[in-house]
Amino acid sequence: MFDKSSPYYIDFPGRIKAVQAEMAKEKIDLYLGSRLRTMSWTTDAFFPWRSFIVIPADGLPTAFTFVIDAARAADDSWLDEDHVMGFAPMGGQDQITQISDLIKEYLPHGGRVGVEAGMSNYLPEGYLTHYEYQAFEAALPDCTLVNAHPIIDRLQMIKDIGTINRFREASRIVDIGHEAVLAALKNGGWKGMTETEIGGLAGYAMRKAGSTFEWSFTGGNEIAAGYRTGLAGGACTPATAKKVEAGEPLMVDIHALFALACGDHSHNYLIAPATKRQLWHAKNFVDMVDLTLKTYRAGISPSSLAAEMMDFAEERGFADFMVPGFEHGIGMLGDEWRIGRHDGPFAYWTDPDHEYLENEVLICAMQYACPDENIGFRYENPILLSKNGCEYMSKFPLAIEVIE
Amino acid sequence: MVKYLSQEWRAEVEKRLKEQLTPEKMNNLTSSMNNLYLNCPDGKIHYFFVGFSEGSVESVQVGEGEGPKAEFVISGDYDVFAKISRAELGAQKALMGGLLKLKGNMVKALKLASLSDRLNKIIATIETEF
Repeated sequence: MFDKSSPYYIDFPGRIKAVQAEMAKEKIDLYLGSRLRTMSWTTDAFFPWRSFIVIPADGLPTAFTFVIDAARAADDSWLDEDHVMGFAPMGGQDQITQISDLIKEYLPHGGRVGVEAGMSNYLPEGYLTHYEYQAFEAALPDCTLVNAHPIIDRLQMIKDIGTINRFREASRIVDIGHEAVLAALKNGGWKGMTETEIGGLAGYAMRKAGSTFEWSFTGGNEIAAGYRTGLAGGACTPATAKKVEAGEPLMVDIHALFALACGDHSHNYLIAPATKRQLWHAKNFVDMVDLTLKTYRAGISPSSLAAEMMDFAEERGFADFMVPGFEHGIGMLGDEWRIGRHDGPFAYWTDPDHEYLENEVLICAMQYACPDENIGFRYENPILLSKNGCEYMSKFPLAIEVIE
Repeated sequence: MVKYLSQEWRAEVEKRLKEQLTPEKMNNLTSSMNNLYLNCPDGKIHYFFVGFSEGSVESVQVGEGEGPKAEFVISGDYDVFAKISRAELGAQKALMGGLLKLKGNMVKALKLASLSDRLNKIIATIETEF
């Protein structure tokens, strides 16, 4: 992965230099990152514990995490063991003391320290807590803490080729998971099967193919059967012990992780016998997905796309069942919520008028829900935007098959 | 009986460490540790430095002030170090209780915790006047 000839190579030292250049423009002497998205994007390692990264004005960054996981994180990262430190509840070794001691070494006379403060509806986001902010402020009396996360947010938006190729591979792995699910379901294989079992067999197939994590914080692989597919606005279905039943819909939304790139593809089925009404719903959804994928390109915005797609749904008579949102953001692990920057009308939410740019990657995501009829569908697929269209990375054929 | 942190005590520490700590027992370690004694009876700061090279005791130093640079610096009150040197208190307990402050890479320090205990146990056998 760290070999420059690898298709998955990412120039991490270059990323750090880009951050440092932006820091200089904003007169920030040192950047203290704490979000999971920042950790992944700067270190190339998964930091599941509370973690921080100190990026000085020049030179290598130093990551900090819980001591029990620091050696593993260093082993995974491009940073060496002297730049991935472990903190622990010991004199001089707690996170506030360790990090502020290092900051004082870099800034003996004080300075402007960029921090990541804000809010998110994604629980593991990792903004600095009120307590941490106050503790760092007290430990660094000569420093001024300023909010600086837009620096990272701007730099993360456009994906480099190494990141794009990692997404392609994660999506290839997800397709293997879907093939395994389809093989297990067909010819009556679905009988007696539970949502959790489907999630597990998809996970096993994807792990065999190289996935390291069913990364979604919304329950890993999200499987829904029957009425659970049609829950209003239901774009989140952690698998349960519910059994797959004849005559019901089945939603299979699975996630693979490859080198911190997130594969995410949702496919839908009808378990036979399917009624005409169910088939009508299914055709609506497949046509909608097909049109959406053909419409996505750089230069449009979430709001313009939504308006166009909802007009189509209205014409066809199924607008009541569509959730009027067609995407969510995606990046390296921890970056899985809003799209682009969050400088729209609602702070820390996607700007609906954000104009998509070339080489942005996002998840084309759609939710169709008809609670009264206990039916719903979900589509998700990472797409790479180009000037004239998009590349959808998961290639599993778009359809809603009736499974006998 | 030798006085704690004196040159006589230093010589006795060096002699016993060299006798009892083989490179194998020290995992062929190359590292250094400097204990900084604060709030000493004479009102000064003292240090106790031990350096290892490939598991062999290379340097044992004591003196006034902050002493030589080391990979790990442990600072705390004289009384706390004295208790450790009398085997009345474990170094790890003192660190976890915040009585001592460690500066250095914690991940590397974890690997050295048992070695530090071995060293302290030997020091505790020296008849010392505190």
